[in-house]
Amino acid sequence: MTATEILWQNVRPLFDALPVTLEVLGLLLVVGLTLGTVLAFAQAYGRRPLRALCVGYEQLFRGIPPLVVILLFWNGITPALGVPVPGIVVAALALGMRSAAYQSQIFRGAIQAVPPGQMMAARSLGMSRIQAIRSVIVPQAFRLAIPPWANEYSSVVKDTAFICVIGGLIDLTRQALMKLAPLSMRRPIGTQLILPYLIILGLFYLALTYGGNGLLSLLERRLSIPGFEMKGKVER
Amino acid sequence: MKKFLLVLGLLAVVGLAAVSAAATTYKVASDTTWPPFEWQAGGGQLIGFDLDVMRLIAILEGYDVNIISYSWDIIFIDVGNGRVDIGASGATITAEREAVVDFSAPYWTSNQAVIVMADSDLNIASALSAGKKIGAQVGTTGAKWVQEQLIDKGVDVELVEYTLYPLAVLDLVNGNVDAVVQDEPASRASVAADARLSIVGVIETGEQFGFFVTNGDPNGLLPKINDGLQKLKASTAWADLITAYMGGAELTKIEAAWVAAAPFLAAKDVTGFAHALAAGATAP
Repeated sequence: MTATEILWQNVRPLFDALPVTLEVLGLLLVVGLTLGTVLAFAQAYGRRPLRALCVGYEQLFRGIPPLVVILLFWNGITPALGVPVPGIVVAALALGMRSAAYQSQIFRGAIQAVPPGQMMAARSLGMSRIQAIRSVIVPQAFRLAIPPWANEYSSVVKDTAFICVIGGLIDLTRQALMKLAPLSMRRPIGTQLILPYLIILGLFYLALTYGGNGLLSLLERRLSIPGFEMKGKVER
Repeated sequence: MKKFLLVLGLLAVVGLAAVSAAATTYKVASDTTWPPFEWQAGGGQLIGFDLDVMRLIAILEGYDVNIISYSWDIIFIDVGNGRVDIGASGATITAEREAVVDFSAPYWTSNQAVIVMADSDLNIASALSAGKKIGAQVGTTGAKWVQEQLIDKGVDVELVEYTLYPLAVLDLVNGNVDAVVQDEPASRASVAADARLSIVGVIETGEQFGFFVTNGDPNGLLPKINDGLQKLKASTAWADLITAYMGGAELTKIEAAWVAAAPFLAAKDVTGFAHALAAGATAP
């Protein structure tokens, strides 16, 4: 068997593990998006105690490394619950709650980047505050939020590699780590295929990052209104 | 969000159903990155000496096992807190580990081999002498031996720890460490795969591997494991398993033999399985 064939034989399981990574990625983005949006509105329009609470949440989750958050959730919090929580849910919650802290900043920034005059103009036309937020502020803020959100997406794709410490969860990284020993014990090739194999693992993450970013920039172009792009300039 | 909650709910229901329907299935955690004791075969099956001993004991004692791939550092925590029932991962019985888990009777005696580059002119004494960098997997008895028998006794070596054993060997090949200390069977498999490596000597640590369960053995598993182990050792299956996994056969050959022998496992034929596995692994 040639080195290429051996390599391919060990790359195939990565495709089997890909759905686990994608599932965690999808779930964590849903958790992060939902919670992040709530936090953003609470910060932009909420009362002071609520805002302080949100800031505390953000400081907490932005200050702890993703691997530590996962270990805390898997080894600390879920065993204490006393009910079995599937590893995939723990992974998505841990990384999703962390991502929510970052996503809320993106959305809050986007909401606040819409010039305050727009709210006044909408209110002067007789719209309620809620109506103005829904029909005037959010559509513009949404467009503004796409580029930084794409950035956050790239970041969480790579965070998913940390879920390999959760028992029974065979994601891309865990699968690759499991193949290193048998791969390095192939005669007479030894450790020589480890480097190309890890490069291929990197390509999987690269594809996820750039594939997702490509889709998001497509969305950005679809939603842009020629001549009315907002470049994040804030009028005071 | 509704869908997400629905999925969460479904997962919970499925989880509970699985627990109540199959009461005699025990979860076995194993760091499946360590041939020939436990690894993932090309077809995705989790195989190895420890895992097959576990499977055969389960057959002999009339329960089922569900083998779960675990990261080494986490196994003791999750067996300790009862999230999984049994650990089967080439674990040496030590006093520190006894504090968090309960061990079965020993099932394997291992020694630590020292691997160096074949062209390095190092012998077992010079490979472990002052100024040398020695690689070992983190949390293993190999790393512990270097710490306790060399560093703590004043020998000025540097211990370099790796999360995975093959990465230590890779660093040896790359010239970043002078030697790697690791259990003998895994070392032999590495050396057989690469002519540039050689085993310069074996440290007779005589370590005993044991399976382990949650402290206090809440499921009453240890008597079953020990009884099954005794029965297994008394049968022809024991020697066959050792021949198959410790005989120095190439891993891919053992994998093919395992797949061919798997029907015996399904039929709960302990000796038939081990015999077919050994025959396949040693076939010319």
